[in-house]
Amino acid sequence: MLEIKNLHVEVDGKEILKGIDLSVGKGEVHAIMGPNGSGKSTLSYVLSGRAGYEITKGEVLYKGQNLFDMEVEERAAAGVFLAFQYPIEIPGVTTMTFLKTALNAQRKARGEDELDAVKFLRLVREKAAPLNITDEMLKRPLNVGFSGGEKKRAEILQMALLEPGLAVLDETDSGLDIDALKVVSDGVNALRSPDRSMIVITHYQRLLNHIVPDKVHVLSKGRIQRTGGKELALELEESGYAEFAEA
Amino acid sequence: MSSTVEQAYLDAFAGLTPEGEPAWLTARRKAARGIFEKTGFPHRRVEAWKYTDLRRMLAKDGYVPAVPYEGPLAYDVETVGPAATAFGAIERHRLICVNGFYRPDLSGAALPDGVSVKPLSEAVKEEGFEALLGADELLYPLNALNTALMQDGLVIRIGKGVKLDQPLHLVHVTTSAGASAAHMRHVLQLEEGAKAVFFETHMGQGGEGYLANHVMETALGEGAELTHIKLQDEAKDALHIAAHRLALGANAQYYGFTLTLGARLSRHETEIRFDGEGAHADAHAAIALSGSQLGDVTTYVDHAVPGCTSNAHIKSVLDGEATGVFQGKVLVAEDAQKTDGRQLSNALILSRDASMNAKPELEIYADDVQCAHGSTIGELDDDALFYLRSRGIDEETARTLLIRAFLEEVLETIPLEDAKADVERLTIGWFAGTDVMEVEG
Repeated sequence: MLEIKNLHVEVDGKEILKGIDLSVGKGEVHAIMGPNGSGKSTLSYVLSGRAGYEITKGEVLYKGQNLFDMEVEERAAAGVFLAFQYPIEIPGVTTMTFLKTALNAQRKARGEDELDAVKFLRLVREKAAPLNITDEMLKRPLNVGFSGGEKKRAEILQMALLEPGLAVLDETDSGLDIDALKVVSDGVNALRSPDRSMIVITHYQRLLNHIVPDKVHVLSKGRIQRTGGKELALELEESGYAEFAEA
Repeated sequence: MSSTVEQAYLDAFAGLTPEGEPAWLTARRKAARGIFEKTGFPHRRVEAWKYTDLRRMLAKDGYVPAVPYEGPLAYDVETVGPAATAFGAIERHRLICVNGFYRPDLSGAALPDGVSVKPLSEAVKEEGFEALLGADELLYPLNALNTALMQDGLVIRIGKGVKLDQPLHLVHVTTSAGASAAHMRHVLQLEEGAKAVFFETHMGQGGEGYLANHVMETALGEGAELTHIKLQDEAKDALHIAAHRLALGANAQYYGFTLTLGARLSRHETEIRFDGEGAHADAHAAIALSGSQLGDVTTYVDHAVPGCTSNAHIKSVLDGEATGVFQGKVLVAEDAQKTDGRQLSNALILSRDASMNAKPELEIYADDVQCAHGSTIGELDDDALFYLRSRGIDEETARTLLIRAFLEEVLETIPLEDAKADVERLTIGWFAGTDVMEVEG
């Protein structure tokens, strides 16, 4: 599904990713853990196509297509989804308008029929209910005045609606209390499918109790330092990242 | 100091003022002309016109007086743009002016009860009318020019306690008539407890670059309520200079909104004076310009008495080489305690060559007041654009969504749903290639 090959990325002339190799198979969930400043968020932004990151070497293939040949919106339409660590507040655009515009833009890009208001409303309500997202919240401007938990739930709703092939969850657990973490994790788990791969980026192991990964990678100093199964996360919880910081 | 430009302008209008006017008006015109001859067209060395150099714009052109147009009215989207359809879905009473002259034959037949509409030339002959034309108009060069040269206008009175069940819609159309200039003077009076909605549209055919210099004087009696929505979508080569001077009685309520889309140079000046306590005035505006257009929104709010509130929020979107101007002044007199006066200008700059000049000012002599002013000038938020695009929304649509969202904050203050929808429609029409979907429910 996703092949990252020898990826080197610079920001403002400083090398942040120093040769990442990562292969995520169809339906797999990979966790990327690491200390602050290790390049975790850089990786997520590079995959989704944010400006300001210079790819100096390497390539990323998604379903065999070179991601770096695609615009941000083309990647999204092809099925790459980033759940933001800090979802952006957009005053004046209601969540509903945003969701409909996004979904129909992707459908259009894929040559599918756009959903009319009635069908869309039915769909969005169906996806929103398990995430405890009310109609009232959908009518509010996107993320404006949302609590941390509401923002993360709204991200998962977007993912549920857009049904990506690859979801990158960037620190989705940050700012969540235990209850919110459970709702969000349940939402993510409900979206696990043999056709959907996920990369779960997190600093802490606790998220991985809820979203159990197939593989865990430790990213530090711009490189993947170690790869293991889900038990690696527990080990890190014990020992911390000190070992890798010195590596 | 005036020059040959001004003299040529005045000469062109020689002998065109209506005959048989009362002596006071002749004297007023003469005084006004004298003032205009001294000041000339305002230019950038005149503080109040620092950013809007009208003289420079006029220096190139000779103007001829607009002449009454007698033919059938043919204005539509084809000839004057989308403003032709504004408020079309709303039951309203239309008052139509063509090339600066009122056309009662084209306007709605039966006026709503309790409203009187007279052409200026008739109204000036009435006892006591002198007092309705503001004397301090002479402080303003373009107002003085208007007084000196005004030929027609409407005097609209809404009687005590009359609550209009239909909006009045004052339509200004300029047909292709050479480089013509018109100076309309309107007077709008709402007596005690009256309530009205007033739409105003301005549009015209391009080609020769006409000039419209409008003055409207509005008086709201005690407890009167006026909702006023103005759409300025003049031809792209036209000049539009409008001054709206209002006096508010005790507990009167004014809501004003102006949309500036048209003209190569425009200025909408609102002057609000509070004469009685407990009144409130909103003077909001949206500006959306491109090319080399300049749009100026200037507000003066005179809190002369205690306990009044005012709010002016101006949102500007500027593309191409367009220039936006906001000048706002809130004056709070020494005994005008418990005043709340606010003004805020937010500008969104879409291109490197567009610019915004914002000058909010407060002049406060009272000590127990709440006043605030602010100004922001920014670009589209890259993070927000990225966020939208990362969900599959193409860049063009994402930009449009964000621009609309920016303007929404002021558009949503429009208290009438249908009118708001029309203003939005016209504003959206300004953006090219929009593909934004709305969701009900």
